[in-house]
Amino acid sequence: MIRQPDLQPSDPSYETGGGPGGKPVGIRAARIRLALRGLRESWSIFVESKIGVIGLAVIAVFALMAISHPVLMATIWDEATYDPVTGYAFDQTEQPAPPSWKHPLGTDPLGRDVLSQLLSSTSSEFILGIVAAVVTVTIATTIGAVAAYYGGIADTLIMRLADLVVSLPSLSLLIVLSALFELNLFMLAILIGVLGGFGGSAIIFKSQALGVTVKPYIEAARVAGGGRFHIILVHIIPNLLPLSFLYMMFAVTGAIFSEAILSYLGLLNIRMSWGIMIHTANTAGYLLGGAKYWWLIVPAGASITLLCSTFYLVGRALDEVANPRLRRR
Amino acid sequence: MMEPILQVSGLSLRYDTRQGEVRAVEDVSFDVLPGQVMGLVGESGSGKTSVAMSLMRLLPDNARIAGGQVLFRGEDLLSMGPDEVRSYRWNRISMIFQAAMNSLDPVYRVGDQIMEAMEAHDPGVTTQAAQERIRDLFELVGLDPRLAQRYPHEYSGGMRQRAVIAMSLACQPDLVIADEPTTALDVIVQDRILRRLKDIQRDLQMSMIYITHDLAVVAEVTDRVGVMYAGKLVEAGSTADVFNSPVHPYTSALLSVFPSIRGPKRELATLAGEPPNLIDPPHGCRFHPRCPYATDPCLTEEPPIVDRDGHWAACWNPLPVSAGPPGAGLAAGPGNQQG
Amino acid sequence: MLAYLVRRLGQNLVTLFLIVTLAFFLVQAQPGDYTSVYAQDPKLTPEVRAQIQADFGLDKPLGEQYLLHLRNSFTGNFGISFGHYPRTVMSVIVERAPRTAVLFLTATVISFYIGFVQGKTLAWRRGGPLEVSMTVSGAVLSTVFTPWYALMMIWLFAFQMGWFPLGKFLDPLLWREAHVNADYVFNRMLLTGGAFMGFVMLVILASRWTERSGFRARFLPGLPVLTWWVPAVLVGALVAVVAWSFSGVGHLAWDIVKHMVLPIFTLTSISFAGTMLLTRNSMLETLREDFVTAARAKGLPERAVRDKHAARNALLPVVTSLVYSLAFAIDGSVIIESIFSWPGLGLTLLQAVRGQDLPLVMAAFVFIGIFALTAHLVADLLYAYLDPRIRYS
Repeated sequence: MIRQPDLQPSDPSYETGGGPGGKPVGIRAARIRLALRGLRESWSIFVESKIGVIGLAVIAVFALMAISHPVLMATIWDEATYDPVTGYAFDQTEQPAPPSWKHPLGTDPLGRDVLSQLLSSTSSEFILGIVAAVVTVTIATTIGAVAAYYGGIADTLIMRLADLVVSLPSLSLLIVLSALFELNLFMLAILIGVLGGFGGSAIIFKSQALGVTVKPYIEAARVAGGGRFHIILVHIIPNLLPLSFLYMMFAVTGAIFSEAILSYLGLLNIRMSWGIMIHTANTAGYLLGGAKYWWLIVPAGASITLLCSTFYLVGRALDEVANPRLRRR
Repeated sequence: MMEPILQVSGLSLRYDTRQGEVRAVEDVSFDVLPGQVMGLVGESGSGKTSVAMSLMRLLPDNARIAGGQVLFRGEDLLSMGPDEVRSYRWNRISMIFQAAMNSLDPVYRVGDQIMEAMEAHDPGVTTQAAQERIRDLFELVGLDPRLAQRYPHEYSGGMRQRAVIAMSLACQPDLVIADEPTTALDVIVQDRILRRLKDIQRDLQMSMIYITHDLAVVAEVTDRVGVMYAGKLVEAGSTADVFNSPVHPYTSALLSVFPSIRGPKRELATLAGEPPNLIDPPHGCRFHPRCPYATDPCLTEEPPIVDRDGHWAACWNPLPVSAGPPGAGLAAGPGNQQG
Repeated sequence: MLAYLVRRLGQNLVTLFLIVTLAFFLVQAQPGDYTSVYAQDPKLTPEVRAQIQADFGLDKPLGEQYLLHLRNSFTGNFGISFGHYPRTVMSVIVERAPRTAVLFLTATVISFYIGFVQGKTLAWRRGGPLEVSMTVSGAVLSTVFTPWYALMMIWLFAFQMGWFPLGKFLDPLLWREAHVNADYVFNRMLLTGGAFMGFVMLVILASRWTERSGFRARFLPGLPVLTWWVPAVLVGALVAVVAWSFSGVGHLAWDIVKHMVLPIFTLTSISFAGTMLLTRNSMLETLREDFVTAARAKGLPERAVRDKHAARNALLPVVTSLVYSLAFAIDGSVIIESIFSWPGLGLTLLQAVRGQDLPLVMAAFVFIGIFALTAHLVADLLYAYLDPRIRYS
């Protein structure tokens, strides 16, 4: 008997695919066609909620900002003046200086260009967010699938652990951790990812995976002699992918937010970030100057808020795609 | 001839969906006579429930009534304002829902949910009087009256269905619409509840619209029946006539799919093909793609009405009277002895 | 019901045990030695140092230290605070915890209520500019960079308008002449608040009873139904205000109240959005349920369909996930405290972290954990009360 690992009789693509005599290639093509059609349909639902599209556009703008910093540094900005950390605007007599042509967003109390700081931080925010999101989703998907498929003691342990992590105020825990260890950006991303992955998302992914494990094609795969690892990898995890994508968005929001708070509190060992920009302004006592020194706080604060809420909104728009019950019709 | 309690004429209904406009109900007309049970039968998606929901004015937001009239004792239900509709609901026309399991609110006692309906239509009703009425209703449907103090999750499926029937009778409505009330139950319970419902209907001389896809139930319960296909009423008449000599090929096919316990053993005929897509329904007769008798006019033109003594069908090629009843012998259920 | 609660309580106790354990091993795992921090602190006298050595078994093997740590944690002996020397950690916590409790509880209750009502309305009137604007502002408010937003609030309402003090718990100038300390006043304020809530609850329960038993229908048929909480709130508030104004420390209590308003308002406005968006989703799903159609078919007024049936059922998943959002709300109060200099557990934690006051860090963390767990338990209780499928099983 020839085993065709990714083709099971009750797999949906089998029926719509190349027909009973279809070769695996035809079926694979049919699968891809089906997936493409699904994508197109999802996209049209996604587009319908304007919020999601606006969100994507905002993310694109931030991505452009992230790219523009190294370009500007290499072309029109000299390092002595514009380096986000070590630069000093000798052309200004008073620091912080208000916005001018040379410094569109002014300078900070230490004479550094605010726009340069803002742009240079963007890429680290993206890296942080994406690393944390990937770690979260990888962990949550894996242990969710394992808990759902194996059940029993594995399930109990994973779920109790998730309950524990969920009931911990994670930011407070991060504050404690930062007291005990020197945290850099990468460690922070991993930590946030781990906390997220073993916590709330694990619970959600498990219940989603549970819905998949009772589907007949899983049983069929088992009967056909598919190994457990194989079944989890080939049949369960792919079904969790849409949800993963959705949760990545929320994870990005959480990660950027946590980093900004910890930086603001001055607890992280990071070169530059939006949170640190506000921290600098705060420790130098410019925050309650309010509107007078707006360029010290508004660009960074607005960037954090905007990027966080954008990822969040995109997540919500994806939620409407993944959860038909929320759709209008 | 008796004055009909409900006259539906030319009812058409559209749903706006992402894929386009679904023409879910097209030009449906039928009457319900006082004290009689009118059956609506058809496959799922044929528009039966849409008809019921438009009678209750309970259509979802994306639905639009495209035409027609629903006269309840001479008053047009479709042109009523929201307050008027509200006073009609349950008080004059009530409903037994398809999913009795879910039509009871899980967080309230069953008795309170019935009382709520009574209070909505008779604000002056005393708690005591309402409780007495609930007791009577529970006895009527064969439930222990003490169960009124319990929550839905403490009921079995059959009990919930009985409670839902009791609830539908709370305000002594003139017309009850039963939308597949027993589909979710096992056969024995189904049979018991059906008998009880039929008894109640007879005792109270209640008018009823009974919606189902189950022909055995139609035979047992209804006096008259209308057959729906793809949003259209294709045949209607007294239950005995329709069962004994169907005129429309679709009815005939339905009857032949339906196995008979009492009739002779036959091969089960299956109906080839799928019900049509109602966004772009077939031209002419909507049944033509699946019809074994389809001819040229069927493809292009609306079929004419063939009327045989009040038993009519819309068909170009009606089956002859002697076609022989595929479901012969079935129509001897209790419903027909009366009708 | 009882089994459910016992199980939940058990789970929470296990979680608490794990938090205490985590606290211990985190300290053990950190680079540098807890012992040496103790030994090198110049403020500690040799006797105190010896006492700490004995209490925490610092010279004993790890296993024994851990057991001692467990015992100490459950007897409330967290040692002596470096930063607040010579106060014990526990006395600092006992002073600060109620302040966090008030901030957190008030904001959570108000934001839950507002979020629920808003979310309900959003789902009911699906579509339209209101939904888009509320969804966007909700998302912005729940993801807004909290320190930034809080500073804006301070700048606007305290600095520009001058309506509220800039932060802190009280006005030192006012309290200099006071013959009582802040805790004395604050604890009595807490008692007043508790008594007020209890009174309103009792009246609501009583009004329910008169409904259900038919008492009202028989004896007071003219009285409107179930609006008793309005006079109850008014009477309760009046009694409280009168009592405080004759207490002689009313102006001090008023000072604390003035300091409380802005942080509570800020915390509320950032946490209501989560509940709002969640309620909206839950309500949208509930509106598709058959019993909602049935309620409508029964000819109930739309308001009753929305509130009595749809929203009442939509509330259940919202309460379930309240459990998850509580940890988030606690984090929110930590941030708010640090910005408003509100001397609660959060600010204590931060100051302890900055001052490397490890015993206080650990204790504050454990107590924040206890907070979270207690809040969970309350949410569980609420859920059990709201869902008859749990109440009667």
